[in-house]
Amino acid sequence: MHYLEKELNELIQFWDEEPEALRALRSDAFKQYKEVGLPNRKWEGWQFTDFSALEKTSYRLASPGDLPPVPETLPTIANCNRILIINGHFQENLSVLSDKVTVQTLQHAYATNPEIFNKTVVNNSNPFHNLNTALMNSGLAIIVENNAVIDNPIHILYYTTGLTEPIMNHPLFLIVAGADSETTIIEHYAGTTNVQYWQNVVTYINLSDNAVLNHTRIQEEDLNGNHIADTAYSLEKDAQLNAFHFASGSSLYRQNIQVNLASSGASSTVNGLCLAKDRQHLDQQIIINHLKENCSSNQLFKYILSDSSAGVFNGRVIVSEGAQKTDAQQTIRNLLLTDKALAHSSPQLEIYADDVKCSHGSTTGQLDKNAIFYMRSRGIDVQTAQLLLISGFAKEVMETITNTNIDTYIDEKLTTWLEHIGVTP
Amino acid sequence: MLEIKDLHVKVKDKDILKGINLTVHPGELHAIMGRNGSGKSTLANAIAGQDSYEITSGDILFNGTSIVAESPEERALAGIFMSFQYPVIIPGVNNTYFLKAALNAKRKHQGKTELDAVEFLKLIREKLAVVEMDEKYLHRAVNDGFSGGEKKQNEILQMLTLEPALAILDETDSGLDIDALKIVAAGINNYRRDDRAIVIITHYQRILKYLEADYVHVLINGKIAKTGGENLAEQLEDKGYSWLDN
Ligand SMILES: Nc1ncnc2c1ncn2[C@@H]1O[C@H](COP(=O)(O)OP(=O)(O)OP(=O)(O)O)[C@@H](O)[C@H]1O
Ligand SMILES: [Mg+2]
Repeated sequence: MHYLEKELNELIQFWDEEPEALRALRSDAFKQYKEVGLPNRKWEGWQFTDFSALEKTSYRLASPGDLPPVPETLPTIANCNRILIINGHFQENLSVLSDKVTVQTLQHAYATNPEIFNKTVVNNSNPFHNLNTALMNSGLAIIVENNAVIDNPIHILYYTTGLTEPIMNHPLFLIVAGADSETTIIEHYAGTTNVQYWQNVVTYINLSDNAVLNHTRIQEEDLNGNHIADTAYSLEKDAQLNAFHFASGSSLYRQNIQVNLASSGASSTVNGLCLAKDRQHLDQQIIINHLKENCSSNQLFKYILSDSSAGVFNGRVIVSEGAQKTDAQQTIRNLLLTDKALAHSSPQLEIYADDVKCSHGSTTGQLDKNAIFYMRSRGIDVQTAQLLLISGFAKEVMETITNTNIDTYIDEKLTTWLEHIGVTP
Repeated sequence: MLEIKDLHVKVKDKDILKGINLTVHPGELHAIMGRNGSGKSTLANAIAGQDSYEITSGDILFNGTSIVAESPEERALAGIFMSFQYPVIIPGVNNTYFLKAALNAKRKHQGKTELDAVEFLKLIREKLAVVEMDEKYLHRAVNDGFSGGEKKQNEILQMLTLEPALAILDETDSGLDIDALKIVAAGINNYRRDDRAIVIITHYQRILKYLEADYVHVLINGKIAKTGGENLAEQLEDKGYSWLDN
C-alpha cells in the first residue's frame, strides 16, 4: 500500500517538531508493518476477514483542512462530560473536562509522560497496531488521578463528517485509571458521510491497583467507514474492569481486544452486542490472558446478523502456569435473521494451570418459529413478535450495562436498527 | 361457533387428518380423546393457524366465516385461543410484558382503549388468584424456568386474561398433580360461559370429572371414529381404543 509510505514520509518531514525518539518510534513501527504487510486469510486469527478494501482506495491522513463546521446535532448520552474530536481534530473548547482527570494531546503526553507510550506501542505483532504507531495523528492521553471517583461518565466522541475525499485517521488513546479510582469512560465512534474513510484505532487502558473502570465502546461509524481497532487492557492488583462493546457501524470492522490480568485478584467482564446488516462484516478477536492467580474473567458476546452480513468472533482464554484459582467464562451467541447472514465463532481455551474453573460455549440460531407462532396465537402480530424475540435475545447482554443513560442510548440504537431492517411494531 | 367440514391436513407430506367433521356451539364443552399420534394436536394447530400444518381440503368456519386463509393473529383476535400441549419458552421476553402486549392487541382490535400498567396489574392479579399463581411468575421470561405444571397454569392464566370465545385446550391436564389439576379445572370453569365454547383434548377421564363435557369424541387415524357423552370417556378408560379399530 504505497499511499501509506507516502503519508508517513510527509508526516515525518512535516512534523519535524516532534522529538527525535518519537520519530524513531514511528519509522521502526512502519518497518515492522512493512515486513509483514496487511493480514491475509492464511494468518492464524485473521482467516475470516478480507482487508483488500483498504488497498483499493488511497486514503490520506486527515489534515487541518478537514474540519467542517461542527454539526448542530451530535450523538448525545445524558449526564456525561463530553470530549469531542471531529475528523481527528480535538475540539477542546467544545469539550467538558472533569476534575481529577488529566486530558492531554499525544504530543503533550509524549513530552511529559513518555513512559506510558512505551508500555503499549512497542513490539506488537498486529500490523494495524504498528501502522497506528507509525501514523498516529490524533487521540488523547487520559489520566485519572489515584483515589478519584468520577461521577459523570467521560464521553469521548470521535465523529467523522463532511468529508470531501477519502481520509484515514490513526487515533491513539492512552487511558490510565489511577489506583483506587472509579471511572466510566465511553469511547464512541460515529459518522455521517458519503465519502469512504478509514479509522485505525489503538486504545491502551491501564487499570492500576484496585481501580474500577467501566469502559463502553460504541462503534457506529457510517457504512462508508472502515473501522480497525486494537484495544488492550492491562489490570493490576484487584482492579475491576466492566467493558461493553457495542458495534453496529462501518462496512468493515475488525477489533482485536486483549485483556491482561497482570496481577492477582483482578477481574474483567467484557461483554458486547454486534448488529450487522447489508453486507457489513464485523469481526472481533478477544484474547484474555490470565497471568496471575485469583483472577476472573467473563465474556458474553451477542451478534444479531441480518441481510448478507457476516459476524466473526474469535475468543481465546489463556490461563498461564501459576494462574491458579482462575475463573473464566466465555459465551458467544449468534442470531441469524436471514439465510444469507453468516456467523463464524470459535471459543478457545488454553489452560496451563490445574486449579481453575473455565467454561466456554457458542451457539448460532435463527428466530424460534415456535416462539413466533406462540406469540401470534395470542394475537401479537408477526412484526411485534419478531421484535420481542430479538430484543429478548439482546436483553441478557444489555442488562449488563449498569449505567442507565448508556443503556438508554444503546437501547435506542437497537430499536432504530430494528426499524432499518424492517422490524417495527 | 366452530364448524369443521371434511378437514384434511398434511404435515411434511404425511396425511394426518383425513376428513374431520365437528360442530361446536356456544356454551358447549367438547372433549377429544385418542391415541398418541392420532392427530389431536394437529387438529388444534390447524384451527390456531400453525402454518406447518397444511390444509389440503375441507374448511374451518368460525362464527360462519372461513378462517383457513387467516393468520394466527387474526384468528386469535377473532376469539380463538389454543392452550399448547407444549407451551413455548420465550427467552428474554417478560411474562407481564407479553400478556399485556397480547391483551392490548386484542383491546385495540375491539376498539377499546389499551390498559395502562396500573389497570393491567389490577386485572392480572384477579386472574392470578383464580389459578393460584404467585406474582413472581409475572416477572420471569415467558415459561422460562417454569415447571411442566406451571406452564399449564400459565396457559390458563393467558386464557382467562384474553377471554377468547373459543378455547382449545391441548392436554392442559397432562402432567399435573392432583392439586394443580383442580386449579386448572377451576380456571376452566371460571372461564366457562354460555357464549363461550371449549374443546379439550385429553388422555384422561379425571379432568372430565371436574368439567361437564357435553360430547366426547374419539379420533382414530385422522377421523372422528366415535362420538358420545361422558360415559364414552369411562368406557375408553376401561377398554382402551382397540375396540374402536376396524
Ligand atoms: N411438525 C411435525 N413434523 C412431522 N410430523 C409431525 C409433526 N407434527 C405432527 N406430526 C406427526 O403427525 C402425527 C399426529 O401428531 P399429533 O401431534 O397431532 O398427535 P396427537 O394426537 O396430538 O398425539 P399425542 O397424544 O401424543 O399428543 C404424528 O405421527 C406426528 O409424528
Ligand atoms: Mg398432542
